[in-house]
Amino acid sequence: MSSVDEPTYGFLRNNALSLAFGGLFLATLAGQAVSGTAQFNDQQVANGLEPIGLAGYVTSSSFMVDVMENWQSEYLQFFLYIFATVWLVQKGSSESKEPGQEGTETDREQVVGRHANADSPTWARTGGWRTTLFSRSLGLLMGGLFLLTWAASAVTGWVAFNGEQLGQRQDPVGFAGYLTEADFWNRSFQNWQSEMLAVGSMAIFAVYLRQRGSPESKPVGVAHADTGQTG
Amino acid sequence: MRGAAALLAGAAVALLTGCAGAAEDDVRAVTTAFEDPAGDPADRCAMLAPATRAALESDESAPCADAIDQLPLDGGEVTAVEVWGGDAQVRIGDDVVFLTETGAGWKVTAAACEPRGEAPYDCELEGP
Repeated sequence: MSSVDEPTYGFLRNNALSLAFGGLFLATLAGQAVSGTAQFNDQQVANGLEPIGLAGYVTSSSFMVDVMENWQSEYLQFFLYIFATVWLVQKGSSESKEPGQEGTETDREQVVGRHANADSPTWARTGGWRTTLFSRSLGLLMGGLFLLTWAASAVTGWVAFNGEQLGQRQDPVGFAGYLTEADFWNRSFQNWQSEMLAVGSMAIFAVYLRQRGSPESKPVGVAHADTGQTG
Repeated sequence: MRGAAALLAGAAVALLTGCAGAAEDDVRAVTTAFEDPAGDPADRCAMLAPATRAALESDESAPCADAIDQLPLDGGEVTAVEVWGGDAQVRIGDDVVFLTETGAGWKVTAAACEPRGEAPYDCELEGP
């Protein structure tokens, strides 16, 4: 609900969370590029080969597969969490709805169709396929990004794997062959397991622990059994 | 749509493998010259990666130009070229040759190689 008395802030303050994490993302990606180049070159020297420069490393399949394998697991995590929290609850968790509210809820509760407000997004008001699609757009985008980045992880992983095979005087494999290689599945599972652990532990820790002022937590004084409150 | 996806995937692989077409020509040319038994030994030695050359001279206790003629490098027709990033493999005659990309072009890292199934090739000439 917007109010005419709502104070207005500048662009930076209104977007501080997105901008801060966007900046942290770029800084940490640069850190990965620099440390990855050093690690790659340690291996090159150990194998009696020439070191490569930063530009050579960031355009290599070795760097790209390391980036893509992490991105795909993050998008898988959000995709699964967004859809799972529609149907599964955790009593007492700020990450969950109240038990009994499982499912996609009514149009009135979701403020769509004829229950939409004047300032509701257009596609929430129009009904039909547009509202159906918009109602699932966040999860679908995460799912789509997961599939894209997982496919990119497979292609870049294949190229990197074949480079390593040749470096070890072994034959390269075809793309279908790579999809059955332990390298591909180990890269996928080692990232997936950490995402599932992070999500599962956040859901249950948020029942008993608080972070004062964070919307990821319940207000400090709210009971452990109280579900779905944020503060 | 599927054609576009295939085109994109192909472009991605070409980019990642370093524009394979030009690299394949270079790799093929280096391998053919290196394997030519009639080639100048000094020129053939210059086509070796430094660590591979050092390993050959150490193993044979002789300068590369003298040792290289003792290796079973018979040349022949190139039947397959694989380039993946900065690594390459060429099948030439009965031999399999491995190369790496350096600032001075493609250099041979291993040659006179016999397959051993899933295990790495057994190469008479190879670096560390």
